[in-house]
Amino acid sequence: MRVFLDLMWYFKSKKWRYIFAVATLVAVALLALIPPQIVGFTINAIHHHTLTQGQLLEWLLIIAGAALFSYGFRYVWRWLLFGAAIDLSTTLRERLFHHFTQMSPQFYQTKRVGDLMAHATNDIQAVEQTAMEGILTLVDSITTGTVVISTMAITISWQLTIVALLPMPVMAFATSRYGKILHHRFDKAQAAFSDLNDRVQENLSGVRVIKAFGQEEIEIGEFIALSQDVVNKNYAVAKIDALFDPTIQIIVGVSYFLSVAVGAYFVAHGRLSIGGLTTFTMYLGQLIWPMLAFGWLFNIVERGHASYDRIQTLFAIKPDIVDHPGATASPISGDIEYNVVRFNYPGVMRATLADLQFTVRRGQTLGVVGRTGSGKTTLLRLLLREFDIEGGHIAIGGVSIDAAKKETLRAAIAYVPQDHFLFSATIAENIAFARPRASQNDIERAARIAGVHDDIVRFPDGYATVVGERGVTLSGGQKQRISIARALLLDAEILILDDSLSAVDARTEAHILDSLRQERTGRTTLIASHRLSAIQHANLIVVLDGGKVAERGAHVDLMQRDGLYAAMYQRQQLEELVEEGGMRA
Amino acid sequence: MIELMDAQPVIPVRGSVLGRMLRYIRPHAKTLGAAFALLIMATGSDVLGPILIKTFIDRYLIPRQFPWRPVAMLAGAYLALQAAASVLNLSQLILFQKVALKVIQQLRIDVFGKVQKLGLSFFDRTPTGMLISRVTNDTEAIKDMYVSVMSTFVQNVVLLFGIFISMFILNVRLALFCVVLAPLVYGVMSVYRRFSSRIFHLARHRLSLLNAKLNESLQGMYIVQAMRQEERLRSEFAHINMAYRAARLRNIKFNSLLLRPLMDVLYLFALILVLGFFGVHSLSGAVDIGVLYAFVSYLDRFFEPVNAMMQRLNSFQQAMVSSQRVFQLLDEEDYAPGKEGGNHPLIKDGLVRFENVSFSYDGQSDVLKDISFTAQPGQTVALVGHTGSGKSSIANLLLRFYKPKRGRITIDDVNIHEYEDEELRRRVGLVLQDPFIFVGDVLSNIRLGDSHISDADIVKAAEFVQAHTFIDKLPRRYREPLGERGATLSSGQRQLLAFARTMARAPRVLVLDEATASVDTETEEAIQNALQNMRRGRTTIAIAHRLSTIQDADLILVIHHGEIVERGTHQELLALEGLYHKMFLLQQGTERGPSE
Repeated sequence: MRVFLDLMWYFKSKKWRYIFAVATLVAVALLALIPPQIVGFTINAIHHHTLTQGQLLEWLLIIAGAALFSYGFRYVWRWLLFGAAIDLSTTLRERLFHHFTQMSPQFYQTKRVGDLMAHATNDIQAVEQTAMEGILTLVDSITTGTVVISTMAITISWQLTIVALLPMPVMAFATSRYGKILHHRFDKAQAAFSDLNDRVQENLSGVRVIKAFGQEEIEIGEFIALSQDVVNKNYAVAKIDALFDPTIQIIVGVSYFLSVAVGAYFVAHGRLSIGGLTTFTMYLGQLIWPMLAFGWLFNIVERGHASYDRIQTLFAIKPDIVDHPGATASPISGDIEYNVVRFNYPGVMRATLADLQFTVRRGQTLGVVGRTGSGKTTLLRLLLREFDIEGGHIAIGGVSIDAAKKETLRAAIAYVPQDHFLFSATIAENIAFARPRASQNDIERAARIAGVHDDIVRFPDGYATVVGERGVTLSGGQKQRISIARALLLDAEILILDDSLSAVDARTEAHILDSLRQERTGRTTLIASHRLSAIQHANLIVVLDGGKVAERGAHVDLMQRDGLYAAMYQRQQLEELVEEGGMRA
Repeated sequence: MIELMDAQPVIPVRGSVLGRMLRYIRPHAKTLGAAFALLIMATGSDVLGPILIKTFIDRYLIPRQFPWRPVAMLAGAYLALQAAASVLNLSQLILFQKVALKVIQQLRIDVFGKVQKLGLSFFDRTPTGMLISRVTNDTEAIKDMYVSVMSTFVQNVVLLFGIFISMFILNVRLALFCVVLAPLVYGVMSVYRRFSSRIFHLARHRLSLLNAKLNESLQGMYIVQAMRQEERLRSEFAHINMAYRAARLRNIKFNSLLLRPLMDVLYLFALILVLGFFGVHSLSGAVDIGVLYAFVSYLDRFFEPVNAMMQRLNSFQQAMVSSQRVFQLLDEEDYAPGKEGGNHPLIKDGLVRFENVSFSYDGQSDVLKDISFTAQPGQTVALVGHTGSGKSSIANLLLRFYKPKRGRITIDDVNIHEYEDEELRRRVGLVLQDPFIFVGDVLSNIRLGDSHISDADIVKAAEFVQAHTFIDKLPRRYREPLGERGATLSSGQRQLLAFARTMARAPRVLVLDEATASVDTETEEAIQNALQNMRRGRTTIAIAHRLSTIQDADLILVIHHGEIVERGTHQELLALEGLYHKMFLLQQGTERGPSE
């Protein structure tokens, strides 16, 4: 029940709504008392031959009135209570999303998207259930329970009430006991199901091996065995599950029997009217649901509690990249000065970058090369302050990036990441992602510089073509160039291209680099690349090896040195030849 | 399970979904009949209760006469009937559940069996996650449907019938009045079903949009942050979130209008009807109070089943969507190429020949163009070329994973399409680039369910490929359990194990898809030795990434853009100074390694 306390902030914020909902629930419970009483009156009047037409009409009209009012009230409390629960989940979801947008890449490296999705969907749903069914059951069981039992005891007979309720603890005991066994067996059934799931997954992932070795029949045989296990375990569940209804049936039956038997004794002794007995059994019927629901309540609350805890744990994670006190908001520009003594990703012992010192003059181009894993991407991402550097600092125009507002820093940088991620939207919307109000002209201009305009107009819907899962499939090169256009539209002080031309052919690459040089005079460009042709023109080339600067200089210098860079260069020339089929030789 | 795939179009399947689902029940007709009989008896015992109470009230309570014997009989009968109803109900519930579970098992086996028979071209275009979902989650949703249809609907309809019959026994005229309830309830139900399915689907659709947005945002968060679009994204998300909220609220309003509250009104009006009927009759003559009591009891019971059915309607609709997807998969006809013709040829020598073979995965652009070569029995033919050149497609065709578009492939001068699956799989052994290790022990991973292979054969095969040495060092040796994907083994050890798996079948033709992953020097040596041994005396088609391993091949084919551009032995090709020569220089460079 602690989850109700945890959610108290919400209940308090909607205090009147909840008070009103509970009041309507009580009103419904009270209205429900009327029809059985009238049935009792009518039976007594019939029995004693005192019934008149007018009296009958009056009573029936009262029932009709109760029916209409309780219809209205039932509608109202559902609206109030369920609506509030939906508002709760809506609020939680929005807050969680807000929280997600503040989390740094570090957070996304340690969490799996699937798990985060599960929190935002399943856990929030479980909390919503707690606020919906949980609150309803709690309030309804208590109000209906108290109102009905006290009415039975006060207006009919407290002795009969005790007798009729005698078997009820047995029901509570039996259902809770079944519940425990069921839970246990259900876990086993779930485990069997997940074995089956794993098996299917393994089978489908290894489909080539299975086909190559002609294992299909054997696999089917094993699947049949596993599915039999699922059937057996579920059958064990069904056997317990099937116990609930009959048990309730027999206990309720006994309860009715006792009421009628003892009630008849009271009637015979003049302590109870026949009408009173009928009213009593009708009230007894009203009690069954609250009794059953109370057992459910624990289940719902338990789930809600676990889920709410998980959500709270997520909320407790503080954003780790925050603006320092007194951070400047004045625009950033100037020479970029790297001075990184050592950088390692959190939780990783080995330094990803070490002894990195170089300066990129404003308006110049930096090329970063090196093998996979040499630290190229890390070097670029540090400039975006995706991680804080412990040993060393990076400054732009003499201002440390730590001393600037994150917002200001990122406003100065346009970033094209390695894995060109596009959103499920139109191409125009994707290019205008960072400047949603950009004009079609600007969008097309950026696309032209990125060398993708011709591709786009060839699509059936041109710039309005939807990309992503539900749209057209773009080639890797097209995606890359669209993400370049997206960055170019920002017209930022600093442009970062992280191996963003890898899927583009040599001629297009040359075209893009050419237009970039023209468009970006006076502004700084940082390019990391696998292919040396992309950085050959850079003013400064940094060759990384194992996170350290192995060589530096312009292309000509590096070629003369005949070291790592020169060897890479020659190798790539040869590679190009092979890729083109060696015909150029 | 987070549903992201709701947006997929559902393609109509052959025949009616309901009809096909009913066909699955047919083999269980007997059990179902028994369950139904039990259900009828249980319901009968159940609805007799109020009649007994009515008898007691009218015959003994009103006259205040309690003869010991008949009253005790009545009480005994009542308790006995309750107990009987309870036991009978238990049995019928279990039987119905059993049938539902069996039906789902059969459906699952059918889907899984179907998937096993489909060709690789089907797997190429279908995401694995979706297939898993079809076999497990979708069938699970259908299970809900069988359970709800069989348990909830059948049982409650029977109960309603029971109640009506009892009412007719008690008082035909009043019962006739009450029968009006049936079409009324049915009307509300069909109105509810019509509109709720629309509202329900709207809510589900918006939920899947919400999930898609969330998923995409989480995946692209780094872009969003780097481009400072957090605020905009939040408001976009808020917009979708609110749209979902609106749909849910509509659902709540709608449910509140038509579900329980309305049923409660119907109940009270039925009560008015019953009371009015008896009241009016009592004015002109005597009525039995016991009958009134029984009618009131029945009305109390009447709306339980109705409410239960209404609540199940939505899960019914979800199950229909799932079953449509499952049947769609069952209708898939992209089968794996199988045996053609009535002959039963055997592979003896392993003479492999490609004759002008062209192939295309999508039916448009050819990935292989006019490939012809012959591998004499015992020879090694190596295929080289850069990634995407079409080398692997040649192996795929030889293994009959796909059918060539043009030309033919023969083994021992017989078209491979004339061989039985078993013969082809046993005689043509594949060694994959990334050996797939199944959950199980070493023995089962080598044997792979082929009961013809004895433990001794397995050890022999392991020794032959030098896997025995490392297996022998495992704590439980050949019984050592291997985890998912063989994570406990090194990649080199996994390869050796895969070698043993192939060799245990004593193939005549080997298809080697060489590993690109680097392994430690010691294992590498073992692998190279094993490969040498394996190739000896067997026709081998080797897909090579490292030229050093195939220099002794009898024939090297250089593939470029799906065509054989050069062919010859290592020396011949070097002398040609063409593409092979360039690749050779390139790899020599790598092995010296400028950056090592």
